[in-house]
Amino acid sequence: MMIFFQSLKDFLQYDFLLYALLGTLALSMTCGLISPLIIARKNAFMGSAISHSTLLGLAIALSLFSAEQSLSIFATTLAITIVCTLFLATSTFRQKLPSDSMIGIFYTATMALGIIIHSLFAKNKTDLLSFLFGNILLLTKEDLLLSAGLLIVTAPLIIIPFKKWLFLTYDEEGAITSGIKARLYHYLFFILLALLIVTSIKLAGTILIETLLLVPGFFALKFSTNVRQAFIVSVIFSTVFAVLGILIANAYGLPSGATLAVVLFLALVLSLFLKKIYTFLRS
Amino acid sequence: MSKSVLRAEKISFSYDGITPTLKDVSFDLHEGESLGVLGPNGGGKTTLMKIVVGLLSPQSGSIFFDEQKADKRHYPYHSFSYVPQHSELNSILPVKVSEYMGFAKAIYKNITEKEMDELLELVGILHKKESLISSLSGGEKQRVLLARALVNHPKLLLLDEPTKGLDSSGQDQLLSIIEKIKQRDKTAVMIVDHNINQIIRHCHKILCLNRNFHWHDHTDLLTKNILEDVYHCEFEHLLIHEKDLQSSHSHDHHFCDHDHAHQGTSNEPHSFLRRKK
Repeated sequence: MMIFFQSLKDFLQYDFLLYALLGTLALSMTCGLISPLIIARKNAFMGSAISHSTLLGLAIALSLFSAEQSLSIFATTLAITIVCTLFLATSTFRQKLPSDSMIGIFYTATMALGIIIHSLFAKNKTDLLSFLFGNILLLTKEDLLLSAGLLIVTAPLIIIPFKKWLFLTYDEEGAITSGIKARLYHYLFFILLALLIVTSIKLAGTILIETLLLVPGFFALKFSTNVRQAFIVSVIFSTVFAVLGILIANAYGLPSGATLAVVLFLALVLSLFLKKIYTFLRS
Repeated sequence: MSKSVLRAEKISFSYDGITPTLKDVSFDLHEGESLGVLGPNGGGKTTLMKIVVGLLSPQSGSIFFDEQKADKRHYPYHSFSYVPQHSELNSILPVKVSEYMGFAKAIYKNITEKEMDELLELVGILHKKESLISSLSGGEKQRVLLARALVNHPKLLLLDEPTKGLDSSGQDQLLSIIEKIKQRDKTAVMIVDHNINQIIRHCHKILCLNRNFHWHDHTDLLTKNILEDVYHCEFEHLLIHEKDLQSSHSHDHHFCDHDHAHQGTSNEPHSFLRRKK
Protein backbone atom coordinates (compact mmCIF):
# COMPACT_ATOMS: atom_id res chain seq x y z
CA MET A 1 0.00 0.00 0.00
CA MET A 2 2.87 2.32 0.90
CA ILE A 3 4.43 1.88 -2.51
CA PHE A 4 1.11 2.78 -4.07
CA PHE A 5 0.88 6.06 -2.14
CA GLN A 6 4.51 6.79 -2.99
CA SER A 7 3.54 6.33 -6.66
CA LEU A 8 0.68 8.81 -6.25
CA LYS A 9 3.11 11.27 -4.64
CA ASP A 10 5.48 10.83 -7.61
CA PHE A 11 2.71 11.78 -10.01
CA LEU A 12 2.12 15.02 -8.15
CA GLN A 13 5.81 15.75 -7.71
CA TYR A 14 7.22 15.26 -11.22
CA ASP A 15 5.87 17.25 -14.18
CA PHE A 16 6.16 14.46 -16.74
CA LEU A 17 4.21 12.09 -14.49
CA LEU A 18 1.57 14.73 -13.83
CA TYR A 19 1.16 15.14 -17.60
CA ALA A 20 0.79 11.37 -17.82
CA LEU A 21 -1.85 11.35 -15.08
CA LEU A 22 -3.87 14.21 -16.58
CA GLY A 23 -3.46 12.79 -20.10
CA THR A 24 -4.70 9.41 -18.88
CA LEU A 25 -7.68 11.10 -17.23
CA ALA A 26 -8.65 12.90 -20.45
CA LEU A 27 -8.10 9.88 -22.71
CA SER A 28 -9.87 7.44 -20.42
CA MET A 29 -12.88 9.75 -20.17
CA THR A 30 -13.05 9.98 -23.98
CA CYS A 31 -12.64 6.22 -24.34
CA GLY A 32 -15.36 5.67 -21.72
CA LEU A 33 -17.72 7.94 -23.63
CA ILE A 34 -17.24 6.23 -26.98
CA SER A 35 -16.82 2.66 -25.71
CA PRO A 36 -20.55 1.69 -25.36
CA LEU A 37 -21.11 2.91 -28.92
CA ILE A 38 -18.24 0.74 -30.20
CA ILE A 39 -19.71 -2.33 -28.50
CA ALA A 40 -23.34 -1.61 -29.43
CA ARG A 41 -22.49 -0.78 -33.05
CA LYS A 42 -20.48 -4.03 -33.23
CA ASN A 43 -17.37 -2.12 -34.26
CA ALA A 44 -14.87 -3.81 -31.90
CA PHE A 45 -13.03 -5.37 -34.81
CA MET A 46 -13.08 -2.08 -36.70
CA GLY A 47 -11.41 -0.38 -33.72
CA SER A 48 -8.78 -3.10 -33.77
CA ALA A 49 -8.22 -2.57 -37.51
CA ILE A 50 -7.78 1.19 -37.05
CA SER A 51 -5.37 0.73 -34.16
CA HIS A 52 -3.30 -1.76 -36.13
CA SER A 53 -3.31 0.42 -39.23
CA THR A 54 -1.69 3.20 -37.15
CA LEU A 55 1.42 1.07 -37.46
CA LEU A 56 1.66 2.02 -41.13
CA GLY A 57 1.37 5.71 -40.20
CA LEU A 58 3.89 5.32 -37.41
CA ALA A 59 6.37 3.50 -39.64
CA ILE A 60 6.17 6.28 -42.25
CA ALA A 61 6.38 8.97 -39.53
CA LEU A 62 9.42 7.31 -37.89
CA SER A 63 11.08 7.14 -41.29
CA LEU A 64 10.63 10.89 -41.75
CA PHE A 65 11.15 12.18 -38.20
CA SER A 66 13.00 11.20 -35.03
CA ALA A 67 10.97 9.93 -32.03
CA GLU A 68 11.48 13.26 -30.18
CA GLN A 69 9.56 15.24 -32.84
CA SER A 70 6.29 14.19 -31.24
CA LEU A 71 3.95 16.64 -32.96
CA SER A 72 5.28 15.78 -36.45
CA ILE A 73 4.95 12.09 -35.67
CA PHE A 74 1.43 12.62 -34.34
CA ALA A 75 0.33 14.64 -37.40
CA THR A 76 1.80 12.19 -39.92
CA THR A 77 0.41 9.12 -38.13
CA LEU A 78 -2.98 10.77 -37.80
CA ALA A 79 -3.15 11.78 -41.47
CA ILE A 80 -2.25 8.28 -42.70
CA THR A 81 -4.55 6.58 -40.17
CA ILE A 82 -7.48 8.81 -41.19
CA VAL A 83 -6.92 7.90 -44.88
CA CYS A 84 -6.94 4.19 -43.93
CA THR A 85 -10.02 4.72 -41.71
CA LEU A 86 -11.94 6.52 -44.46
CA PHE A 87 -11.19 3.64 -46.82
CA LEU A 88 -12.44 1.14 -44.23
CA ALA A 89 -15.50 3.27 -43.44
CA THR A 90 -16.42 3.53 -47.12
CA SER A 91 -16.05 -0.18 -47.76
CA THR A 92 -18.10 -1.18 -44.71
CA PHE A 93 -21.10 1.21 -44.84
CA ARG A 94 -24.29 -0.87 -45.14
CA GLN A 95 -22.58 -3.58 -47.17
CA LYS A 96 -24.09 -6.99 -47.88
CA LEU A 97 -20.77 -8.82 -47.46
CA PRO A 98 -19.72 -9.22 -43.82
CA SER A 99 -17.58 -6.20 -43.01
CA ASP A 100 -15.26 -8.20 -40.72
CA SER A 101 -13.72 -10.00 -43.69
CA MET A 102 -12.83 -6.67 -45.34
CA ILE A 103 -11.47 -5.33 -42.05
CA GLY A 104 -9.40 -8.47 -41.45
CA ILE A 105 -7.85 -8.30 -44.91
CA PHE A 106 -7.15 -4.60 -44.60
CA TYR A 107 -5.55 -4.45 -41.20
CA THR A 108 -3.13 -7.30 -41.73
CA ALA A 109 -2.08 -5.71 -45.04
CA THR A 110 -1.49 -2.24 -43.54
CA MET A 111 0.35 -3.72 -40.56
CA ALA A 112 2.59 -5.80 -42.84
CA LEU A 113 3.31 -2.77 -45.00
CA GLY A 114 4.13 -0.75 -41.86
CA ILE A 115 6.66 -3.36 -40.68
CA ILE A 116 8.34 -3.47 -44.10
CA ILE A 117 8.56 0.34 -44.30
CA HIS A 118 9.91 0.47 -40.74
CA SER A 119 12.58 -2.14 -41.37
CA LEU A 120 13.68 -0.41 -44.58
CA PHE A 121 13.56 3.28 -43.71
CA ALA A 122 13.26 3.86 -39.92
CA LYS A 123 15.77 6.29 -38.43
CA ASN A 124 15.90 4.29 -35.17
CA LYS A 125 14.59 0.75 -35.34
CA THR A 126 13.91 0.39 -31.59
CA ASP A 127 11.41 3.29 -31.38
CA LEU A 128 8.49 1.28 -32.72
CA LEU A 129 8.33 -0.98 -29.65
CA SER A 130 7.33 1.92 -27.36
CA PHE A 131 4.50 2.78 -29.71
CA LEU A 132 3.30 -0.81 -29.92
CA PHE A 133 2.84 -1.28 -26.18
CA GLY A 134 2.76 2.27 -24.82
CA ASN A 135 5.13 4.11 -22.52
CA ILE A 136 3.86 6.86 -20.23
CA LEU A 137 7.36 8.20 -19.86
CA LEU A 138 7.06 9.34 -23.49
CA LEU A 139 4.08 11.59 -22.69
CA THR A 140 4.91 15.27 -23.06
CA LYS A 141 3.07 18.53 -22.36
CA GLU A 142 2.00 18.55 -26.04
CA ASP A 143 0.51 15.08 -25.60
CA LEU A 144 -1.44 16.30 -22.60
CA LEU A 145 -2.80 19.23 -24.61
CA LEU A 146 -3.71 16.88 -27.46
CA SER A 147 -5.53 14.54 -25.08
CA ALA A 148 -7.45 17.42 -23.49
CA GLY A 149 -8.23 18.87 -26.93
CA LEU A 150 -9.53 15.51 -28.08
CA LEU A 151 -11.86 15.30 -25.08
CA ILE A 152 -13.09 18.85 -25.76
CA VAL A 153 -13.82 17.96 -29.41
CA THR A 154 -15.23 14.48 -28.88
CA ALA A 155 -17.51 15.08 -25.90
CA PRO A 156 -19.84 17.60 -27.64
CA LEU A 157 -19.87 15.52 -30.83
CA ILE A 158 -21.19 12.57 -28.83
CA ILE A 159 -23.29 14.38 -26.23
CA ILE A 160 -25.11 17.02 -28.34
CA PRO A 161 -26.52 14.58 -30.94
CA PHE A 162 -26.66 11.82 -28.26
CA LYS A 163 -30.21 10.73 -29.19
CA LYS A 164 -29.30 10.54 -32.87
CA TRP A 165 -26.33 8.28 -32.07
CA LEU A 166 -28.60 6.08 -29.98
CA PHE A 167 -31.39 6.01 -32.57
CA LEU A 168 -28.93 5.03 -35.33
CA THR A 169 -27.36 2.38 -33.15
CA TYR A 170 -30.61 0.94 -31.83
CA ASP A 171 -32.85 1.10 -34.90
CA GLU A 172 -30.71 2.00 -37.89
CA GLU A 173 -33.41 1.68 -40.55
CA GLY A 174 -35.94 3.57 -38.44
CA ALA A 175 -33.38 6.34 -37.91
CA ILE A 176 -32.39 6.60 -41.58
CA THR A 177 -36.01 6.74 -42.72
CA SER A 178 -36.65 9.44 -40.10
CA GLY A 179 -34.09 11.57 -41.91
CA ILE A 180 -30.93 11.04 -39.82
CA LYS A 181 -27.88 11.14 -42.06
CA ALA A 182 -26.45 7.70 -41.28
CA ARG A 183 -23.50 8.04 -43.66
CA LEU A 184 -22.37 11.29 -42.00
CA TYR A 185 -22.52 9.70 -38.53
CA HIS A 186 -20.77 6.57 -39.82
CA TYR A 187 -17.78 8.61 -41.05
CA LEU A 188 -17.80 10.90 -38.02
CA PHE A 189 -17.68 7.91 -35.68
CA PHE A 190 -14.66 6.38 -37.38
CA ILE A 191 -12.79 9.68 -37.64
CA LEU A 192 -13.31 10.20 -33.88
CA LEU A 193 -12.12 6.65 -33.30
CA ALA A 194 -8.99 7.23 -35.41
CA LEU A 195 -8.26 10.49 -33.54
CA LEU A 196 -8.69 8.77 -30.19
CA ILE A 197 -6.50 5.82 -31.11
CA VAL A 198 -3.66 7.94 -32.51
CA THR A 199 -3.76 10.23 -29.46
CA SER A 200 -3.66 7.24 -27.10
CA ILE A 201 -0.71 5.47 -28.74
CA LYS A 202 1.86 6.70 -26.22
CA LEU A 203 -0.34 5.84 -23.26
CA ALA A 204 -1.46 2.34 -24.20
CA GLY A 205 0.23 1.50 -27.51
CA THR A 206 -1.36 0.55 -30.83
CA ILE A 207 -1.99 -3.01 -29.70
CA LEU A 208 -3.26 -2.46 -26.16
CA ILE A 209 -5.46 0.61 -26.77
CA GLU A 210 -8.26 -1.81 -27.66
CA THR A 211 -8.64 -2.60 -23.95
CA LEU A 212 -9.51 1.00 -23.16
CA LEU A 213 -11.91 1.10 -26.09
CA LEU A 214 -13.75 -2.12 -25.32
CA VAL A 215 -13.68 -3.04 -21.62
CA PRO A 216 -15.52 0.04 -20.19
CA GLY A 217 -18.38 -0.25 -22.68
CA PHE A 218 -18.63 -4.01 -22.22
CA PHE A 219 -18.75 -3.60 -18.44
CA ALA A 220 -21.32 -0.77 -18.63
CA LEU A 221 -23.64 -2.59 -21.04
CA LYS A 222 -23.45 -5.71 -18.90
CA PHE A 223 -24.44 -3.94 -15.68
CA SER A 224 -26.58 -0.95 -16.65
CA THR A 225 -30.35 -0.89 -16.56
CA ASN A 226 -30.83 1.94 -19.03
CA VAL A 227 -28.91 3.48 -21.85
CA ARG A 228 -27.98 6.80 -20.21
CA GLN A 229 -26.67 4.97 -17.15
CA ALA A 230 -24.55 2.78 -19.45
CA PHE A 231 -22.60 5.78 -20.74
CA ILE A 232 -22.09 7.26 -17.26
CA VAL A 233 -20.92 3.90 -15.85
CA SER A 234 -18.58 3.42 -18.80
CA VAL A 235 -16.89 6.82 -18.27
CA ILE A 236 -16.50 6.23 -14.50
CA PHE A 237 -15.17 2.67 -14.95
CA SER A 238 -12.73 3.74 -17.65
CA THR A 239 -11.39 6.72 -15.67
CA VAL A 240 -11.04 4.95 -12.31
CA PHE A 241 -9.29 1.83 -13.62
CA ALA A 242 -7.09 3.63 -16.16
CA VAL A 243 -5.76 5.94 -13.44
CA LEU A 244 -5.32 2.96 -11.10
CA GLY A 245 -3.49 1.18 -13.92
CA ILE A 246 -0.89 3.88 -14.46
CA LEU A 247 -0.41 4.30 -10.70
CA ILE A 248 0.37 0.59 -10.41
CA ALA A 249 2.56 0.70 -13.52
CA ASN A 250 4.64 3.51 -12.03
CA ALA A 251 4.76 1.92 -8.54
CA TYR A 252 6.16 -1.37 -9.82
CA GLY A 253 8.01 -0.09 -12.90
CA LEU A 254 5.72 -1.97 -15.27
CA PRO A 255 4.89 -1.05 -18.89
CA SER A 256 1.90 1.33 -18.80
CA GLY A 257 -0.10 -0.14 -21.71
CA ALA A 258 0.15 -3.71 -20.47
CA THR A 259 -0.66 -2.73 -16.87
CA LEU A 260 -3.70 -0.72 -17.99
CA ALA A 261 -4.94 -3.66 -20.05
CA VAL A 262 -4.51 -6.14 -17.19
CA VAL A 263 -6.12 -3.83 -14.55
CA LEU A 264 -9.17 -3.17 -16.73
CA PHE A 265 -9.50 -6.84 -17.59
CA LEU A 266 -9.21 -7.95 -13.95
CA ALA A 267 -11.79 -5.36 -12.88
CA LEU A 268 -14.17 -6.71 -15.51
CA VAL A 269 -13.62 -10.36 -14.61
CA LEU A 270 -13.98 -9.64 -10.89
CA SER A 271 -17.25 -7.75 -11.45
CA LEU A 272 -18.67 -10.55 -13.59
CA PHE A 273 -17.66 -13.06 -10.91
CA LEU A 274 -19.25 -10.98 -8.14
CA LYS A 275 -22.42 -10.60 -10.20
CA LYS A 276 -22.60 -14.38 -10.61
CA ILE A 277 -22.25 -14.86 -6.85
CA TYR A 278 -24.89 -12.16 -6.17
CA THR A 279 -27.31 -13.78 -8.63
CA PHE A 280 -26.63 -17.20 -7.10
CA LEU A 281 -27.24 -15.93 -3.55
CA ARG A 282 -30.49 -14.21 -4.54
CA SER A 283 -31.90 -17.24 -6.37
CA MET B 1 -61.22 10.72 -56.02
CA SER B 2 -58.68 11.03 -53.21
CA LYS B 3 -55.18 11.99 -54.20
CA SER B 4 -52.31 9.59 -54.63
CA VAL B 5 -49.89 9.59 -51.70
CA LEU B 6 -47.58 6.91 -53.07
CA ARG B 7 -46.97 5.75 -56.60
CA ALA B 8 -44.36 3.32 -57.90
CA GLU B 9 -43.66 3.33 -61.59
CA LYS B 10 -41.97 0.36 -63.30
CA ILE B 11 -39.58 -0.43 -60.45
CA SER B 12 -36.85 -2.93 -61.35
CA PHE B 13 -34.13 -4.13 -59.03
CA SER B 14 -31.42 -6.77 -58.94
CA TYR B 15 -28.93 -7.44 -56.13
CA ASP B 16 -26.28 -8.93 -58.40
CA GLY B 17 -27.10 -7.01 -61.56
CA ILE B 18 -28.09 -10.22 -63.36
CA THR B 19 -31.01 -11.95 -61.64
CA PRO B 20 -33.96 -9.57 -61.29
CA THR B 21 -35.55 -9.45 -57.85
CA LEU B 22 -38.16 -6.98 -59.06
CA LYS B 23 -39.10 -6.26 -62.66
CA ASP B 24 -41.34 -3.41 -63.78
CA VAL B 25 -43.45 -3.32 -60.62
CA SER B 26 -46.01 -0.51 -60.52
CA PHE B 27 -48.73 0.37 -58.05
CA ASP B 28 -50.35 3.34 -56.46
CA LEU B 29 -51.89 4.11 -53.12
CA HIS B 30 -54.40 6.82 -52.27
CA GLU B 31 -55.24 8.67 -49.07
CA GLY B 32 -56.87 6.33 -46.53
CA GLU B 33 -56.23 3.21 -48.65
CA SER B 34 -54.22 0.19 -47.68
CA LEU B 35 -52.00 -1.96 -49.85
CA GLY B 36 -50.92 -5.42 -48.78
CA VAL B 37 -47.85 -6.94 -50.40
CA LEU B 38 -47.82 -10.74 -50.42
CA GLY B 39 -45.49 -13.33 -51.82
CA PRO B 40 -43.15 -16.15 -50.91
CA ASN B 41 -39.71 -15.68 -49.34
CA GLY B 42 -37.32 -14.17 -51.86
CA GLY B 43 -40.20 -12.84 -53.93
CA GLY B 44 -39.04 -9.24 -53.51
CA LYS B 45 -41.53 -7.93 -50.93
CA THR B 46 -39.01 -6.53 -48.46
CA THR B 47 -36.81 -5.32 -51.33
CA LEU B 48 -39.75 -3.35 -52.71
CA MET B 49 -40.43 -1.88 -49.25
CA LYS B 50 -36.77 -0.88 -48.86
CA ILE B 51 -36.86 0.81 -52.26
CA VAL B 52 -40.01 2.73 -51.32
CA VAL B 53 -38.49 3.99 -48.06
CA GLY B 54 -35.21 4.93 -49.74
CA LEU B 55 -32.96 2.29 -48.17
CA LEU B 56 -32.28 0.78 -51.61
CA SER B 57 -32.15 2.50 -54.99
CA PRO B 58 -33.97 0.86 -57.91
CA GLN B 59 -32.06 0.06 -61.11
CA SER B 60 -34.90 1.69 -63.03
CA GLY B 61 -38.28 3.20 -62.29
CA SER B 62 -39.44 5.95 -59.97
CA ILE B 63 -41.23 6.48 -56.69
CA PHE B 64 -43.62 9.40 -56.25
CA PHE B 65 -44.85 10.78 -52.93
CA ASP B 66 -47.83 13.15 -53.25
CA GLU B 67 -47.18 13.11 -57.03
CA GLN B 68 -43.65 14.47 -56.46
CA LYS B 69 -40.86 12.29 -57.79
CA ALA B 70 -38.57 11.15 -54.96
CA ASP B 71 -35.09 12.53 -55.44
CA LYS B 72 -32.40 10.03 -54.46
CA ARG B 73 -30.16 12.75 -52.97
CA HIS B 74 -32.86 14.46 -50.93
CA TYR B 75 -35.20 11.60 -50.21
CA PRO B 76 -38.52 12.90 -48.85
CA TYR B 77 -38.37 11.01 -45.54
CA HIS B 78 -40.89 13.48 -44.06
CA SER B 79 -43.57 12.08 -46.44
CA PHE B 80 -43.93 8.78 -44.63
CA SER B 81 -43.14 6.76 -41.52
CA TYR B 82 -41.53 3.37 -41.71
CA VAL B 83 -41.93 0.57 -39.18
CA PRO B 84 -39.10 -1.96 -39.61
CA GLN B 85 -39.23 -5.50 -38.27
CA HIS B 86 -38.70 -5.61 -34.49
CA SER B 87 -35.99 -8.22 -35.03
CA GLU B 88 -33.87 -5.45 -36.59
CA LEU B 89 -33.56 -3.68 -33.22
CA ASN B 90 -30.12 -3.76 -31.64
CA SER B 91 -30.54 -5.86 -28.51
CA ILE B 92 -27.16 -4.83 -27.05
CA LEU B 93 -28.35 -1.38 -25.88
CA PRO B 94 -30.64 -1.42 -22.81
CA VAL B 95 -33.26 0.96 -24.23
CA LYS B 96 -36.49 1.70 -22.36
CA VAL B 97 -39.77 2.38 -24.19
CA SER B 98 -39.69 6.01 -23.03
CA GLU B 99 -36.07 6.39 -24.20
CA TYR B 100 -36.90 4.96 -27.63
CA MET B 101 -39.84 7.35 -27.99
CA GLY B 102 -37.45 10.11 -26.93
CA PHE B 103 -35.14 9.32 -29.87
CA ALA B 104 -37.84 10.76 -32.12
CA LYS B 105 -37.43 14.03 -30.22
CA ALA B 106 -34.01 14.34 -31.88
CA ILE B 107 -35.87 14.88 -35.16
CA TYR B 108 -39.31 16.17 -34.21
CA LYS B 109 -38.35 18.65 -31.53
CA ASN B 110 -41.89 19.99 -30.96
CA ILE B 111 -43.35 16.70 -29.78
CA THR B 112 -44.35 16.88 -26.13
CA GLU B 113 -44.19 14.22 -23.42
CA LYS B 114 -48.00 14.24 -23.32
CA GLU B 115 -48.28 13.55 -27.06
CA MET B 116 -45.85 10.66 -26.73
CA ASP B 117 -47.89 9.22 -23.87
CA GLU B 118 -51.03 9.53 -26.01
CA LEU B 119 -49.37 7.54 -28.77
CA LEU B 120 -48.29 4.85 -26.32
CA GLU B 121 -51.85 4.81 -25.00
CA LEU B 122 -53.20 4.49 -28.56
CA VAL B 123 -51.13 1.36 -29.18
CA GLY B 124 -51.93 0.05 -25.68
CA ILE B 125 -48.40 0.07 -24.28
CA LEU B 126 -48.39 3.08 -21.94
CA HIS B 127 -48.19 0.83 -18.87
CA LYS B 128 -44.84 -0.51 -20.16
CA LYS B 129 -43.36 2.96 -20.65
CA GLU B 130 -40.48 2.41 -18.21
CA SER B 131 -39.77 -1.18 -19.29
CA LEU B 132 -36.77 -2.23 -21.32
CA ILE B 133 -37.81 -2.96 -24.91
CA SER B 134 -35.77 -6.17 -24.80
CA SER B 135 -38.07 -7.46 -22.03
CA LEU B 136 -41.25 -7.00 -24.09
CA SER B 137 -42.99 -9.65 -26.17
CA GLY B 138 -42.82 -9.54 -29.99
CA GLY B 139 -46.27 -7.97 -30.24
CA GLU B 140 -45.45 -5.31 -27.64
CA LYS B 141 -42.18 -4.46 -29.41
CA GLN B 142 -44.07 -4.06 -32.66
CA ARG B 143 -46.55 -1.71 -30.99
CA VAL B 144 -43.68 0.39 -29.60
CA LEU B 145 -42.20 0.64 -33.10
CA LEU B 146 -45.60 1.67 -34.40
CA ALA B 147 -46.00 4.35 -31.71
CA ARG B 148 -42.60 5.82 -32.59
CA ALA B 149 -43.54 5.86 -36.28
CA LEU B 150 -46.71 7.83 -35.49
CA VAL B 151 -44.84 10.68 -33.80
CA ASN B 152 -44.86 12.85 -36.95
CA HIS B 153 -48.55 12.12 -37.78
CA PRO B 154 -47.69 10.49 -41.12
CA LYS B 155 -50.00 10.52 -44.14
CA LEU B 156 -48.39 7.28 -45.21
CA LEU B 157 -47.39 4.39 -42.95
CA LEU B 158 -45.14 1.62 -44.26
CA LEU B 159 -44.86 -1.60 -42.27
CA ASP B 160 -42.41 -4.43 -42.94
CA GLU B 161 -43.83 -7.77 -41.76
CA PRO B 162 -45.55 -6.32 -38.68
CA THR B 163 -47.15 -9.63 -37.69
CA LYS B 164 -43.95 -11.67 -37.94
CA GLY B 165 -43.55 -13.87 -34.87
CA LEU B 166 -46.92 -12.87 -33.36
CA ASP B 167 -49.65 -15.31 -32.40
CA SER B 168 -53.09 -14.84 -33.95
CA SER B 169 -54.39 -12.68 -31.11
CA GLY B 170 -51.27 -10.48 -31.31
CA GLN B 171 -51.77 -10.17 -35.06
CA ASP B 172 -55.43 -9.22 -34.60
CA GLN B 173 -54.58 -6.61 -31.95
CA LEU B 174 -51.86 -5.00 -34.06
CA LEU B 175 -53.89 -4.93 -37.26
CA SER B 176 -56.89 -3.52 -35.39
CA ILE B 177 -54.71 -0.68 -34.09
CA ILE B 178 -53.48 0.00 -37.64
CA GLU B 179 -57.09 -0.07 -38.85
CA LYS B 180 -58.03 2.44 -36.13
CA ILE B 181 -55.21 4.80 -37.15
CA LYS B 182 -56.15 4.42 -40.81
CA GLN B 183 -59.75 5.38 -40.17
CA ARG B 184 -59.01 8.14 -37.67
CA ASP B 185 -56.30 9.99 -39.62
CA LYS B 186 -57.05 8.79 -43.19
CA THR B 187 -53.52 7.40 -43.19
CA ALA B 188 -52.54 5.39 -46.25
CA VAL B 189 -50.92 2.10 -45.24
CA MET B 190 -48.60 -0.25 -47.10
CA ILE B 191 -47.99 -3.61 -45.39
CA VAL B 192 -45.56 -6.30 -46.42
CA ASP B 193 -46.54 -9.55 -44.76
CA HIS B 194 -46.71 -13.32 -44.98
CA ASN B 195 -50.12 -13.62 -43.39
CA ILE B 196 -52.37 -13.94 -46.43
CA ASN B 197 -55.71 -14.07 -44.62
CA GLN B 198 -54.97 -11.07 -42.39
CA ILE B 199 -53.76 -9.01 -45.36
CA ILE B 200 -56.79 -9.91 -47.46
CA ARG B 201 -59.07 -9.01 -44.56
CA HIS B 202 -57.43 -5.65 -43.79
CA CYS B 203 -56.22 -4.25 -47.13
CA HIS B 204 -58.08 -2.62 -50.01
CA LYS B 205 -55.45 -3.47 -52.56
CA ILE B 206 -53.16 -6.46 -52.94
CA LEU B 207 -49.83 -6.74 -54.67
CA CYS B 208 -48.67 -10.32 -55.12
CA LEU B 209 -44.97 -10.58 -55.82
CA ASN B 210 -42.80 -13.42 -56.93
CA ARG B 211 -39.91 -11.89 -58.85
CA ASN B 212 -41.15 -11.69 -62.48
CA PHE B 213 -44.66 -12.62 -61.50
CA HIS B 214 -46.78 -9.89 -60.00
CA TRP B 215 -50.40 -9.06 -59.68
CA HIS B 216 -51.80 -5.86 -58.33
CA ASP B 217 -55.40 -4.93 -57.92
CA HIS B 218 -58.33 -4.65 -55.62
CA THR B 219 -58.67 -7.37 -52.99
CA ASP B 220 -62.03 -8.50 -54.39
CA LEU B 221 -60.38 -9.46 -57.66
CA LEU B 222 -57.84 -11.75 -56.04
CA THR B 223 -58.46 -15.42 -56.72
CA LYS B 224 -57.10 -18.56 -55.14
CA ASN B 225 -55.51 -19.39 -58.50
CA ILE B 226 -53.50 -16.19 -58.51
CA LEU B 227 -52.17 -16.85 -55.04
CA GLU B 228 -51.32 -20.45 -55.88
CA ASP B 229 -49.43 -19.25 -58.92
CA VAL B 230 -47.51 -16.68 -56.88
CA TYR B 231 -46.60 -19.15 -54.15
CA HIS B 232 -46.27 -22.21 -56.40
CA CYS B 233 -48.37 -24.26 -54.02
CA GLU B 234 -52.00 -25.02 -53.21
CA PHE B 235 -53.92 -23.40 -50.39
CA GLU B 236 -56.72 -24.92 -48.38
CA HIS B 237 -57.92 -22.21 -46.01
CA LEU B 238 -58.00 -18.90 -47.78
CA LEU B 239 -60.59 -16.30 -46.94
CA ILE B 240 -60.85 -14.95 -50.46
CA HIS B 241 -63.99 -13.11 -51.33
CA GLU B 242 -64.85 -14.62 -54.71
CA LYS B 243 -68.35 -13.32 -55.28
CA ASP B 244 -69.12 -12.09 -58.78
CA LEU B 245 -65.92 -13.55 -60.11
CA GLN B 246 -67.86 -16.24 -61.93
CA SER B 247 -69.76 -13.73 -63.98
CA SER B 248 -67.09 -11.17 -64.70
CA HIS B 249 -63.72 -12.89 -64.59
CA SER B 250 -61.95 -15.95 -65.80
CA HIS B 251 -60.61 -18.31 -63.17
CA ASP B 252 -57.57 -19.05 -65.28
CA HIS B 253 -54.13 -18.62 -63.88
CA HIS B 254 -52.66 -15.25 -64.31
CA PHE B 255 -49.14 -15.28 -65.62
CA CYS B 256 -47.21 -12.29 -66.76
CA ASP B 257 -43.76 -10.85 -66.86
CA HIS B 258 -45.06 -7.30 -66.72
CA ASP B 259 -47.35 -5.36 -64.44
CA HIS B 260 -50.79 -4.62 -65.71
CA ALA B 261 -52.38 -3.20 -62.65
CA HIS B 262 -55.56 -1.27 -63.25
CA GLN B 263 -56.25 -2.96 -66.57
CA GLY B 264 -59.30 -4.37 -64.87
CA THR B 265 -61.77 -2.12 -63.09
CA SER B 266 -65.03 -2.79 -61.40
CA ASN B 267 -66.87 -1.81 -64.60
CA GLU B 268 -64.99 -3.93 -67.07
CA PRO B 269 -63.78 -7.49 -66.83
CA HIS B 270 -60.22 -7.94 -65.66
CA SER B 271 -58.18 -9.17 -68.61
CA PHE B 272 -56.46 -12.24 -67.23
CA LEU B 273 -53.87 -13.78 -69.47
CA ARG B 274 -53.80 -17.49 -69.98
CA ARG B 275 -50.95 -19.53 -68.58
CA LYS B 276 -48.18 -19.97 -71.12
CA LYS B 277 -47.83 -23.56 -72.21
